[in-house]
Amino acid sequence: MPARCSGSCPRRLLLLCLFLSLPGGSPADLAVTPQDANQTHKNSLTRMPTGLKSSPEPMTTTQTVNRQTWGGSISDHLTVGPDASTPGPDLTTLEFKQDTKSNTSHGSYEKHEVVLSGDSGHAVVKNITLDRAVRIELTCKLDDKYSSLKVIQVTWKKGNETIGHINKTENSWSIQLTISDNSKLGSYNCTVKGEKEFSVVFHLQVPKIDVKDKPVITYEGDIAVLVCKSLNSTPISWTWYMTNGSEQIAINDSLLLDKYVIDKVFPNVTQLKILKLTSKDDGVYWCEAAFELGKSKGKMKLKVLSLMVPLKPFLAIVAEVVVLVAVIFLFELYSKRREKCTEIEKEFDQTEQLKSEESNGVENSSTRHRKV
Amino acid sequence: MSPPLPSDLGYIPPDGGWGWAVVFGASISVGFAYTFPKAFTIYFKELQAVYSISYSQIAWITSIMCATTYGGGPISSILVNRYGSRPVVIFGGLLCGIGMVSAAFCTSILQLYICVGFITGFGLALNLQPSVIIIGKYFLKRRPIANGLAMAGSPVMLCTLAPLNQFLFDNFGWRGSFLILGAILLNCCVAGALFRPIGAPKIQSNEEVKEVLKEEVTKDAMEMNSSTNIPVETKPEEEEAKDCCEKINKYLDFSLFKHRGFLIYLIGNVLMFLGFFAPIVFLAPYAKHIGIDEYSAAFLLSVLAIVDMIARPATGIIANSKWVRPRIQYFFSFSIAFNGACHLLCPLASGYKGLVIYSVFFGLAFGMVCAMLFETLMDLVGATRFTSAVGLVTIAECCTILLGPPIGGTLIDTFGDYKYMFIKCGAVMVLAGTFLFIMNYYNYRMLAKEKRKAKEEDPKSVRTESEGRNNLNKDTAQDGPELEPLREEQERLKKEVNGTNEV
Repeated sequence: MPARCSGSCPRRLLLLCLFLSLPGGSPADLAVTPQDANQTHKNSLTRMPTGLKSSPEPMTTTQTVNRQTWGGSISDHLTVGPDASTPGPDLTTLEFKQDTKSNTSHGSYEKHEVVLSGDSGHAVVKNITLDRAVRIELTCKLDDKYSSLKVIQVTWKKGNETIGHINKTENSWSIQLTISDNSKLGSYNCTVKGEKEFSVVFHLQVPKIDVKDKPVITYEGDIAVLVCKSLNSTPISWTWYMTNGSEQIAINDSLLLDKYVIDKVFPNVTQLKILKLTSKDDGVYWCEAAFELGKSKGKMKLKVLSLMVPLKPFLAIVAEVVVLVAVIFLFELYSKRREKCTEIEKEFDQTEQLKSEESNGVENSSTRHRKV
Repeated sequence: MSPPLPSDLGYIPPDGGWGWAVVFGASISVGFAYTFPKAFTIYFKELQAVYSISYSQIAWITSIMCATTYGGGPISSILVNRYGSRPVVIFGGLLCGIGMVSAAFCTSILQLYICVGFITGFGLALNLQPSVIIIGKYFLKRRPIANGLAMAGSPVMLCTLAPLNQFLFDNFGWRGSFLILGAILLNCCVAGALFRPIGAPKIQSNEEVKEVLKEEVTKDAMEMNSSTNIPVETKPEEEEAKDCCEKINKYLDFSLFKHRGFLIYLIGNVLMFLGFFAPIVFLAPYAKHIGIDEYSAAFLLSVLAIVDMIARPATGIIANSKWVRPRIQYFFSFSIAFNGACHLLCPLASGYKGLVIYSVFFGLAFGMVCAMLFETLMDLVGATRFTSAVGLVTIAECCTILLGPPIGGTLIDTFGDYKYMFIKCGAVMVLAGTFLFIMNYYNYRMLAKEKRKAKEEDPKSVRTESEGRNNLNKDTAQDGPELEPLREEQERLKKEVNGTNEV
């Protein structure tokens, strides 16, 4: 990791650091992050339909529930191009991810910009996930085709509170925020009023927890494993809760060592193993991830079944197999017997025929005799 | 002396009747054998979490299953040679069921390897080979259609097993699913029950039939008996020959390695399988890689399966037509090369529409190759030796089948691009197709030459040579394309009616 400006660097010094580190700096860092960003971008794009289709239960985060809607003709740039509000070098992609394990994280700076290029009719929404304290700049920018548009007023609001200190450049308006605790998270609204009205909402929130939305099915006496994953960010700590009636009780694995085991498989993945399952363990479980800026929860459902449940279909199918095999064998025996009977009949007929042919002469003479 | 046999079987196969029930049973067996490992991958994530193991460790289960299914081929062949198809398939079905039911109670990954990997895999091996073998015993004239229909069981089973597995998993968890899957696999026993034994009638009835022969007009049944007399009589002579190789060959015919057609088939197919399965394995990941979402990527595989389902019986019908059947080996090599060409063109497909078109053509080519896979082997070696041939071929293919996807995976990891994997698969298959085409052209010419030679010599000596199991006779015209002997046989029947046959 190259030496980084840390602490409360002035912005320009930070930009200079970036400028110096960019060309010859550790390619791994900057080379990886564009890919990572693109990857997350793609991931979020690709994950979107699944999210919509499977419609998970709303995660109870401490923030507002976000709608992931992308306006059709709005292009969203995670990269800040040459027309950035600050002069300087071409800074590409900057969702700086400091996946450091150290706590010198306050020097990170993020820029998020939304370019408004069309009428979607409704407000554009951008979700930004923050797992640690950052300084952030939010920009709403008009597309070049509206450069001649007369803009009367641009307001930045958080809830009902208007934010002053808007940095304006040619066609973009931005605000800078220091997100240091939970209260600073929320929805920030940028409204551009003029001949046309545009609106962008930035949702700043803690990272969400990825859980299996289908219930986990286990059996009595078995081991259940509940997995919670935090996407792309490592929480400070994890806590597991089980629901008892309407209360949520924290699971303390040090107390009940032979019942619960909490494992940290990866830094961002936690696992709760429940041993010696009984029907009482059936219910809803919560995993809570604590981040610098807040907490995020995920809900999981555990079902404990008895062995009788799959046994019934099993026995039904086995019975069907036995019946079919018996029917086939019986049919075969039956058709074999019929064949033998017809064969014996045929042989009988033929021998009869031969006998009649041989004794034809005798019979004829006898009949002649009779006739006469 | 008796006339040469139409299909060294010793009798005329029914080509219908109960044969269609056998085809239905075979399609069930083949379907389970080919699709079960693929459909099993649904359980991987859950098992990974429960046993805290990596993906590569869990993937060993299906690798062991596939390896056992193909590697168990020779054992399957030996058992069929000894006991016939039916008992082997029923035993195989029971083994599969027992394997999955015991897997439901497993407590470690090693136990899963044994129960699911070895036991179920071996059970599937005992299902696959006998099903294919018995088709050759019931069909001759319509054999390509029968083969195509039987192999069509694979995509049909895939379309039903995959969603069924998902349903079972959502409702019963993995243990309950394994239990119920064990019961479902027992249906292979039903398929096995349908495999009524067929063949030359037994030795005891010869006496009765001889008497009937004297008095009646000759029929097919009599031909069977008269011809089997001679192998029976030569049997004690063979055993006295003190050749242990002969005894081994009775169970598993290693003399096939001297058979020209068999060797061509073996080399061509072993080469082909290097690039056969990898594209299917990597189609969905490739689609996701170029930005298509999960559901659409899964849909590509469904398109493939549906086209495959239609292509297999259709190929069987085409292969059975009078223009294609005599030259079926060319059709087979063409379909392999066509498959390879599809893969080579895949990197040019851009976007989702391109991939859908690729899936359609790939499904078509895949179905064509699979439908004729065993038919061409039967055509080359004949139905009686097919039993051993299929066992030897599957164990040889086993290595390349297992190597194919990992080599593709390494190519993808090294270059970071899927196109090299497609190019490798396409190139390998085009090469295999061309090799088979050229070598089969040579083989057909050699067979025609040998037939001409045989006809020029005394016709009676040809008949005596065709009986028994001498090494020299393996390369005679009898083992070649079987349609000409059929026509000759019809002429002979007419002669026999006129009383020129000898008993």
